[in-house]
Amino acid sequence: MTATVTSTMDRWAGGTCPFDAGWRKVMMWWFIVTDGLLFAGFLAAYGYARLLALHWPDQATVFSLRYIAAMTFVLISSSATMASGVQAAREGRRTVARRFVLLTLAGGALFLGMQAFEWRHLIGEGARLNANPWGDASFGAYFFLLTGFHGTHVLIGVVVLAATAIRSAKGWTTADGVEMAGLYWHFVDLVWVFIFTLFYLL
Amino acid sequence: MKSYWRAWGILLAFTVVMLWADGAAIPRLAFTVFVITAMLTKASIIGAHFMHLRSERASLVLTVVVGLLVTGTILFVLIAPDAVRIHHMVSVR
Repeated sequence: MTATVTSTMDRWAGGTCPFDAGWRKVMMWWFIVTDGLLFAGFLAAYGYARLLALHWPDQATVFSLRYIAAMTFVLISSSATMASGVQAAREGRRTVARRFVLLTLAGGALFLGMQAFEWRHLIGEGARLNANPWGDASFGAYFFLLTGFHGTHVLIGVVVLAATAIRSAKGWTTADGVEMAGLYWHFVDLVWVFIFTLFYLL
Repeated sequence: MKSYWRAWGILLAFTVVMLWADGAAIPRLAFTVFVITAMLTKASIIGAHFMHLRSERASLVLTVVVGLLVTGTILFVLIAPDAVRIHHMVSVR
């Protein structure tokens, strides 16, 4: 009993390092939580707008779900390469880590290109922020808001990955730096899981 | 490194099954419950394996997960009665 209490105290007392993580990781997690709440707010607003809509478009007629699935495949795969890159960086294999980071960057760039193509296609079909040919007017607004905001995050991620790759090549970054870029990238993938399900599938 | 690719395979499998379910003749409620469960499972796998939450200290994990869950519950569940009420008001009009 005493041992359990002591162990629990040790675990929670924290001292100068309550999370047993460096300041960069803790700050990155705080950023992820707050940014995640922003996306949660957008998705909740979308959910209620959809509840209010009298005629929400059938996604299967608007989007090619196979195409969206391919985008999802690219993003999930880039998350796996990023995780492998972080692992390699932790093991001190800098060249391997850099290759995985570059692969992740390529995945992010491919995703952005696919999203740009999707936007171009839908805009060509008449999708606008305030109107669209398929149903409720807010559909277009939420489509551009959610995918645009997420795409901006992917773009920022690509820039961060490029900087990480360059810094790694010059020996300016540590394994911690690669891990922070990785945390951000996985967050971008995590958000897509929600957008894919709630906006494209349901 | 193998565990990451195993997680990748599981995520991919979930995505394929979700797409299959979208095309299958499944009752709407069952489909909704299934895809939301699959979505949360996928999110947990990304958080636990790729973001290494499973190996972080409990204080960090609980702060992150509980914070998101509580706010998520407020946004998606506790506001729902008001949203439904507004929906009915608009429908009546």
